[in-house]
Amino acid sequence: MRTRTRLDLRGLVLPATILLAWWVVSANGLGNNYIFVSFSRIGAAIAQFVNDGTLLAGTTATLLRLLIGFALGAASGLAIGLLIGLSSAAGRVISPTFHALRQIAVFAWMPLLTAWLGIGGQTMIALIAIGAFYPTVVNVEAGCRGVPLPYLEVGRVMELSRWQTIRRIILPAAAPSILAGLELAVATAWLSTIGAEYFISAGDGLGIILAASRMRGSMDGVIVGILAIGLVGFALNRLLAFASRRAFKWRAPST
Amino acid sequence: MSLAALSHPEQAVAIEVRGVSRTFTTAGADVPALRDVSLTVAEGEFVSLIGPSGCGKSTLLRMLAGLDQPDRGTVSVEGDKVAAPSLSRGILFQDHRLLPWLTVEQNVDLGLHKSGLTTQQRQQRVSDLIALVGLAGFERAFPYQLSGGMSQRAAIARSLAPQPRVLLLDEPLGALDSLTRSKLQTELLRIWKHERITMLMVTHDVEEAVFLSDRVVVMEPRPGRIADIVDIPLPKPRHRGDPAFVDIKLRLLTSLEVETDPPANIVEH
Repeated sequence: MRTRTRLDLRGLVLPATILLAWWVVSANGLGNNYIFVSFSRIGAAIAQFVNDGTLLAGTTATLLRLLIGFALGAASGLAIGLLIGLSSAAGRVISPTFHALRQIAVFAWMPLLTAWLGIGGQTMIALIAIGAFYPTVVNVEAGCRGVPLPYLEVGRVMELSRWQTIRRIILPAAAPSILAGLELAVATAWLSTIGAEYFISAGDGLGIILAASRMRGSMDGVIVGILAIGLVGFALNRLLAFASRRAFKWRAPST
Repeated sequence: MSLAALSHPEQAVAIEVRGVSRTFTTAGADVPALRDVSLTVAEGEFVSLIGPSGCGKSTLLRMLAGLDQPDRGTVSVEGDKVAAPSLSRGILFQDHRLLPWLTVEQNVDLGLHKSGLTTQQRQQRVSDLIALVGLAGFERAFPYQLSGGMSQRAAIARSLAPQPRVLLLDEPLGALDSLTRSKLQTELLRIWKHERITMLMVTHDVEEAVFLSDRVVVMEPRPGRIADIVDIPLPKPRHRGDPAFVDIKLRLLTSLEVETDPPANIVEH
């Protein structure tokens, strides 16, 4: 029997090279010591952030924020996406506005949002929700509209009601696209989370560690922040990929 | 036996197509798919429609299913004008069209929501049908786990589930390899006898038409119309090597080749 998932070591070549280059530059004083922080100082910063609880509090707060913002954005995105995907009348009313608003970058909403919600947690949540909202709507709508005609004809031939057609044909057919939209929404919500934290900097959070370290001029803190953000993001991404691979038992496993 | 003979089942009309015309508009041009087509199929009869592509045979079948409407003329089944799809008219497509997210069992059950059966009776009917098409043991399989022939068997079971009076078959075996195809032809014949339903089948395969049909309707393209109707009085099951069988097959092939069009778009053989 072969192992199903084998770690491909080739994927580690680039990170190892970068680490090595960083080490060569920082240990031999070849670069700006302020920017190319030595491994020992990074290690010390990690130890400090771990010991004083900053890293744990930051990670928890960031993930919680992501979760709330994503839930709000994805839920409303699901609702709007289904509405315009299932009803062409609703689509004609809502779609033009939606696609116009979609062109506005998430962070362009910041001045308005801070005016409405203040410079704090609510604005951060709103930015994350906006980040999750758009990809959800786009993919849910595309999934509902893209159901192959032959399947819809099966529904007609079987005398399924509108509701039965939605439940037994449209939603299952759209499910892979909906899931892909939610996966994308987590990714954009994650970007929004870090951005919102960095710009608004209220409370705990990985993005806030980043902003605070930069303010203090402590580049080792910035690097620890970047590492933590990268690691958490990577873990989220893997988790979702893993979950979505086994989401549909009716699909042929792709090997 | 004598009672059955007295009731003259072959007299009752199952399908009536009267003066049907249909024109499609593609890329701004009008393409006449059917012009003034009339056809009657008796209850319990097996009739095949053959002809080159573009002769409108699939369009005619889709009208009978209620998936398309004639521009002129009427299409009726058992005396009722066809206006929309109905569970009383089953249809079997060339692509099996099993819903990939449902198991074989769930696919077969799809058309039973108006049957009035209890859950238990429904389960019974589903498993009977799965056995009828020879798929026992695959109840919980998903379509991606089935071969082409098995998928089409499941589709046959699904189309029979609501107990349709008429089964419309749109090149149902066209996508299968020849071995599976002749096996399923025998199965279709057995099911036709077993269920005693009227079957109207579109096919490209002349031998298949002769093997299964009581009558074969030969159609011509541009505009689609009926060229000839050939009776096949041979008893079933038929033997493909039987001289009378071969005779009729040759006659049909000839009738298809004596088209006004050059023989470029003739039956694929």
